[in-house]
Amino acid sequence: MAQQTRAVTSAEAEANVVRVPAGSDLVEWYFEQGWTDGLPVVPPTRPRVDAFVEALGGNPHFVECKVPPRHGSLSREVLAINMVMAGCKPEYAPVVRAAMLSLTTDAFNLNGVQATTHMAAPLLIVNGPVAREIGMNGDCNAFGSGNRANATIGRALRLVLLNVGGGWPGELDKSTLGHPGKYTYCVAENEAASPWAPYHVEKGFALEDSTVFVLAAEPPHSVTNHVANDPEGILDSIASAMSTIANNNAVSSGHCAVIIGPEHARTIAGRGWTRHDVRNYLAMHAYNLFSELTFNERYGKIYNRNLPKWYKRGPGSRIPIVPSADHIHLFVIGGEAGRFSAFIPGWGHMSSPVLRSIEALEGDGTRKAAICVDGTCYI
Amino acid sequence: MTGRKDMTAFDPRGVVETEPLELAARVGGLDGLRLGVLDNTKWNAGRLLRKTVARLQGEFSFAAVNYYRKESFSKDADPALIATIAADNDIAVTAIGD
Repeated sequence: MAQQTRAVTSAEAEANVVRVPAGSDLVEWYFEQGWTDGLPVVPPTRPRVDAFVEALGGNPHFVECKVPPRHGSLSREVLAINMVMAGCKPEYAPVVRAAMLSLTTDAFNLNGVQATTHMAAPLLIVNGPVAREIGMNGDCNAFGSGNRANATIGRALRLVLLNVGGGWPGELDKSTLGHPGKYTYCVAENEAASPWAPYHVEKGFALEDSTVFVLAAEPPHSVTNHVANDPEGILDSIASAMSTIANNNAVSSGHCAVIIGPEHARTIAGRGWTRHDVRNYLAMHAYNLFSELTFNERYGKIYNRNLPKWYKRGPGSRIPIVPSADHIHLFVIGGEAGRFSAFIPGWGHMSSPVLRSIEALEGDGTRKAAICVDGTCYI
Repeated sequence: MTGRKDMTAFDPRGVVETEPLELAARVGGLDGLRLGVLDNTKWNAGRLLRKTVARLQGEFSFAAVNYYRKESFSKDADPALIATIAADNDIAVTAIGD
């Protein structure tokens, strides 16, 4: 729906404007205000901000969402300011907007994600034509540096979480360690290299739809396997990476992501295994023994209220890393060469990932989005 | 630097619209009051609360001690639970216990 436009009052027009002394070094000035992520920002100008507001649908004072734990109002102008500061291009606007709406969905529990002592950071994975159109990287070094769209979309989210959400380290962000994904943590699925349907199609969207997926996540843990020529061998290596007693899925259940590198994916799919087979195999074979999770009662009896009630808690009981195969979110990402995959633990049962369509902005200002309910999608 | 304010910058923080809440009236003493204890289900919250309550009971004589627990330490307590605690107790104590 197009937002109704109305005259902007002078107070609104000046709401986010600050006058600073002539000759100020604005890059340093933003550092002094404490409004950066620790890296220099691009100082916003009125023409740049207006261009991003236009890309977001106009109506600069329309509030898209409120961002916890500070609960600052994310108006389109404020989102535009943060996108400019991050170094985004205006064409990234639909992706950043969809990601922010996903992060502020109740089920994601952004309030908890921002404030937790755990290191979780929101991971954003983009599917569909938009990822290709804006030049996102799901190929070589996808989780690393070197791609403007990946880097600045993720950075824009972080700047919003800091500036609007108030997730400043040591203040409202109480993370003991944090992780590098708190600068930027944004990739695309390598749909072209995948032998399977893309993630969003598995979830019921159409191939031509574009989506964002957000997960409160630990960093990727590399899985190397250069010897297996069958699905079981590769997946046993991934299950091994999943089956530690120290990641948050092991102790708090919930969702996680598994990233299959293209070479591994071709080997697995070449034996006729589907995405469904892969997720079920991992759900069944990634586990710890309850006795391992409880240190053989070295520190007294432990029940662990964060694991599902229906888990049997005997010494020899297997405690799965995820409570169902649907808690594993499978993506094919990475470069053509290299027999590597990755396991990305989530935060735990405290946050649910969100998959949302990226709404295309039509010429008349309306938004066109795929609606996907129970696997049935329509425009 | 002239001190003349003639450059434009943009504040990226957005407005916080809050309604101030008044603190509940403070109690003068603890004897004879009903104590509500809210466990947030963190690893060590229950242990910390039990020891805290034991020390308080050594010093004060409560009319009742009522225990409650949140469904998840990372999420807001159910408003119905908060209403129950408020209705059935005079004072409340909670703990994180990470």
